[in-house]
Amino acid sequence: MLSECFGDPRARTVAGWKAVGGYEGIARALEIGREATIDDVKASGLRGRGGAGFPTGLKWSFMPKNSARPHYLLCNADESEPGTFKDREIIRWTPHQLIEGCLVGSYAIGASHCYIYLRGEFFESTNVLARALEEAYAEGLVGKDILGSGVDIDITLHVGAGAYICGEETGLMNSLEGRRGEPRIKPPFPAAVGAFGMPSTINNVETLAAAAHIARHGGEWYRQWGTEKSPGTKLFCVSGHVNKPGNYEFPLGFPLMELIEDVCGGIPGGHALKAVIPGGSSVPIMDAGDCRACTLCYEGVEAAGSMLGCASVIVMDETSDIVKQVRRMAHFYAHESCGQCTPCREGTTWATRILQRIEDGRGTEDDLDTLVEISEQMTGTTICVLSDSLAMPIISSIEKFREDYLALIRRGERVGAA
Amino acid sequence: MSEVRFRNPGWAGNTGEFDLSEADVRGTEYVGERALDGGHPSVAPSLPYMFVQKDPEAPLFEGPYRERFEKIRGRYPTARAALLPALNLAQELRGHISPETMDEVAGLLGLSDAYVRGVATFYTMYNKRPVGRFLIQVCTNISCNLCGADDVLAAFLEHTGTELGETSSDGNFTVAEAECLAACGFPTCVQINSRYFEDVSVDDVPAVLDRLKREVNQGF
Repeated sequence: MLSECFGDPRARTVAGWKAVGGYEGIARALEIGREATIDDVKASGLRGRGGAGFPTGLKWSFMPKNSARPHYLLCNADESEPGTFKDREIIRWTPHQLIEGCLVGSYAIGASHCYIYLRGEFFESTNVLARALEEAYAEGLVGKDILGSGVDIDITLHVGAGAYICGEETGLMNSLEGRRGEPRIKPPFPAAVGAFGMPSTINNVETLAAAAHIARHGGEWYRQWGTEKSPGTKLFCVSGHVNKPGNYEFPLGFPLMELIEDVCGGIPGGHALKAVIPGGSSVPIMDAGDCRACTLCYEGVEAAGSMLGCASVIVMDETSDIVKQVRRMAHFYAHESCGQCTPCREGTTWATRILQRIEDGRGTEDDLDTLVEISEQMTGTTICVLSDSLAMPIISSIEKFREDYLALIRRGERVGAA
Repeated sequence: MSEVRFRNPGWAGNTGEFDLSEADVRGTEYVGERALDGGHPSVAPSLPYMFVQKDPEAPLFEGPYRERFEKIRGRYPTARAALLPALNLAQELRGHISPETMDEVAGLLGLSDAYVRGVATFYTMYNKRPVGRFLIQVCTNISCNLCGADDVLAAFLEHTGTELGETSSDGNFTVAEAECLAACGFPTCVQINSRYFEDVSVDDVPAVLDRLKREVNQGF
């Protein structure tokens, strides 16, 4: 569904997108009305694809009704979770899929303006989306009186400047407003006080793309895929040690091992699986045992001890150096911490230093306890979840791959090369 | 290897087995030439480029750039919100954002110098000092790292003869380490000015650099 036109340059144009049923979703939404569109998305059970998995229809229904203040839809295209590369594919292959999703979302929440916050690094994909948006304006699909309905919806592209934290919804709002991208304390929630102080809803690119299809076909249609708690399809971004990495769209609930072994052609060189990070770098690491029975849906990955996040499956084979990779992740979070909250600002840096010390063969066994202790203090103590996002891989890696750490600490032996 | 190949555009079910040109993957045919004034106001100011030629003395803002700047200012409910796009525009012209540039932008938007410096230094993509004609940013985050990104970074440093974050003596290349570029299925991903080069291996590095050198000579 979402990925049907990936790889087909014809689908980039308005004509090409209409040829595969594009813009029928917004047409139907305009016909059935706001409430019915939200009801459809609620009925579909669509959950936010940015990582948190919050029900989209419910989020939309939080927006105030009959308010005279401007409402904003913000599309989060600041894709920067390590391991995630699905939104860029949607944008560069099917820009109109996103534009249509933005129209549906804006209409449903009563927003006359939608800002798409794009990652600054996405020059090429931004150009594709910009051309598509110009085309959509010229065709009367965006702007004043869209499709002759009397509804006005403007879409504006806003380009960021390189900060992971701007993918956090309130950090994104601050950045859009021309401030440092520091997350805001909630409440107030964005539906009450969001961008420019106005009621706002933030959705991920993939969420809005899916909403365009739901608007076209109805909520029940979407439930033909997936599980009761995780309906629909999802783009799985597979990276790391597999023969055929890439984006694969499957119904939620797809077995993890089947994805790795059958779809992605297994692990190169006949190596054995060591670990999988199933949802982007911010979730607990799973060992090979956890992976065996894991199904890729929100509840399935949770049962296996981790989180689906944005379904970015990072595969690590037996040659992987877990300590090095966790240290690399810690370095990333230390670099990207906005510095507002002490546990995060200090914790991410301490953790990086300690992990570096262990990697260099100068660590002690006490360091592992210290790491766990710091990580625990980084959990649930800050404005946003950036520090939790590092705490989880640290704690889970020490729990599951303690031997790797100990080999370095006791004998100076590095396990794995990559 | 004359061209950098796209081995893996990575859509579902078709990974690795495809026949697409580089233009198809990059969408350059569809995008076409973009005017410097940026076209429609909804998209115009959002298109910072990274050009090979940079002019640190370029005025802020004249001609088509003035038009783009005015479009930026017109599309937000507050003046402050124009700050990031205005800085993007300044960097497009000058190649980096010096403290003086920050102050100039502050003046244009009626913001205090200190405020703009605080914001500009928050964001990684604002080059705080001059960079080479090509800014080569190698992703070394987890997915690329698992597939040998450290070696690719080392190869770029070796073949350009520079240190990390420094510019080569001919002024062509600045090599830096980047955080995840959201192309994890195509390791190693390298962002060079405005373009992504995907699936770059150590062996590909000389060919990539040769291509860039040709582009300088072609006046790109």
